[in-house]
Amino acid sequence: MNPEVIPISMVDLVISLVFILAAGLVSVLHKLSLHKDLLIGTARTFIQLLIMGYALTFVFELDSVLLVMGVYVVMIVFGAQIIHGRVKEREVNYLGPTFLSMLAGYFLIAYVVTGVVVGSDPWWKPQYFVPLAGMVIGNSMSALAISLERLFTDLRAKLREVEMRLSLGADYAEASHEIMADALKAGMIPSINSMMGVGLVFIPGMTAGQVLAGSDPLMAVRYQIVVMLMMVASTALSTVVVLRLVRRRCFGPSHRLLLSPSK
Amino acid sequence: MSCAASENTRDAKPILTLEAVSFAYAQGKPVFSDVYLDVCNGSYMMVKGPSGAGKSTLLRLMNRLEEPNSGRILYHGRELVEYEPARLRRWVSYIQQTPVLVNGSVRDNLLLPFGFTANKDLERPTDDELQELLAAFLLDNVALDQNGLTCSVGQSQRLCLIRALLLKPEIMLLDEPTSALDKESRQEVEAMTEKVNTEHGVTVVMISHTEYAPACENFSEIEVRGGSVTVKEQTP
Repeated sequence: MNPEVIPISMVDLVISLVFILAAGLVSVLHKLSLHKDLLIGTARTFIQLLIMGYALTFVFELDSVLLVMGVYVVMIVFGAQIIHGRVKEREVNYLGPTFLSMLAGYFLIAYVVTGVVVGSDPWWKPQYFVPLAGMVIGNSMSALAISLERLFTDLRAKLREVEMRLSLGADYAEASHEIMADALKAGMIPSINSMMGVGLVFIPGMTAGQVLAGSDPLMAVRYQIVVMLMMVASTALSTVVVLRLVRRRCFGPSHRLLLSPSK
Repeated sequence: MSCAASENTRDAKPILTLEAVSFAYAQGKPVFSDVYLDVCNGSYMMVKGPSGAGKSTLLRLMNRLEEPNSGRILYHGRELVEYEPARLRRWVSYIQQTPVLVNGSVRDNLLLPFGFTANKDLERPTDDELQELLAAFLLDNVALDQNGLTCSVGQSQRLCLIRALLLKPEIMLLDEPTSALDKESRQEVEAMTEKVNTEHGVTVVMISHTEYAPACENFSEIEVRGGSVTVKEQTP
């Protein structure tokens, strides 16, 4: 451990619970009925992060490529499941294409960052690959959920326009060209916006973490720059691949829209 | 059913045929079962029946906006699945109940299909040709530069007819195109469908709730009711 880092003891962690008490007080005073969620959320934060800490220690110590890839696949499975829970689409099965595109797209990005930009040796060195891949998945996941939600909503809302184009000889891609572009934009804009505000409006979590851990701020921001660019790329790449695959599934082999109209 | 040939249409023959077609929406009761129907070239078929009987579904089956659960649909003797869907829909055109125009000039709306890959071999009409068609469809007061969304429903429906006609379809499926129109606009659109049939030689299959009967050769009425489809030949 870096000697400059002041350790947080278990007692300190317990003391930090006072923050949750403050949030709980707000919930009680304003009758928000959020205390149960706060309690579960706090318990999950403790349990999940502690497990993650122990898991990462184990993965770092074992230093095995298979284990690192296993962790990566598990992260993707959870990421795809979270997207599935958020989008709530029942007529088109999009989980398979989402999982596969995340798996391939994020791997490519994480590999380029660790192996080429950071230059870690080997490229899968767990201290670099796992946290970087985790950040890619965590950030692009929201973009994917937003894009998919937008695609399904717009295809339903503009069903008559899509069918008008199909009836005039458009194929499925031509009939849904604008809807696809809007869905892509909706997914990409948040990551572009975050590039605008970074360092001015907020100190990103990674920089804050590295500085707290005793890193040189100039080195921390270099990592942050790489991470920001990586996130924009991974968002664009995964969103475009997922949307293309899922959009095809929204249309049957005869290029007809399989979604029922919005109610 | 065979094609009744009149004095002027001796070579009338079926171009689109439904053979033992059955259709049901997912987990729903069947809309049709075992339907046989011939659509003959040059004919004008009026589809009648109560709401929810499946008239729109019948039309949508003819250009693969819906797929039958069983049976075959043939176009010029070949099953619909053998055709590229985009090409098929250019030849068997479908016009929706409520006209759909996009935000753009009337010209952009009329030329919209010419940007699609399946229509690349068609020659884009000139402004003069478009003007001529507008005049023929009583739309002299509509300018090509005008935004399409500013047109009335009746004008929009006629623009949709012209837009489909520019693709030189063989069959035009009209899904109750006059339902949203007042009496005057309705009569104008009905007259235009006759024009499409008689002057442009396009076979018309139209859903209508009105008493309108076109003065076309080979006019017939199709009754869709209780899961079956019957053809009533019109006696001249």
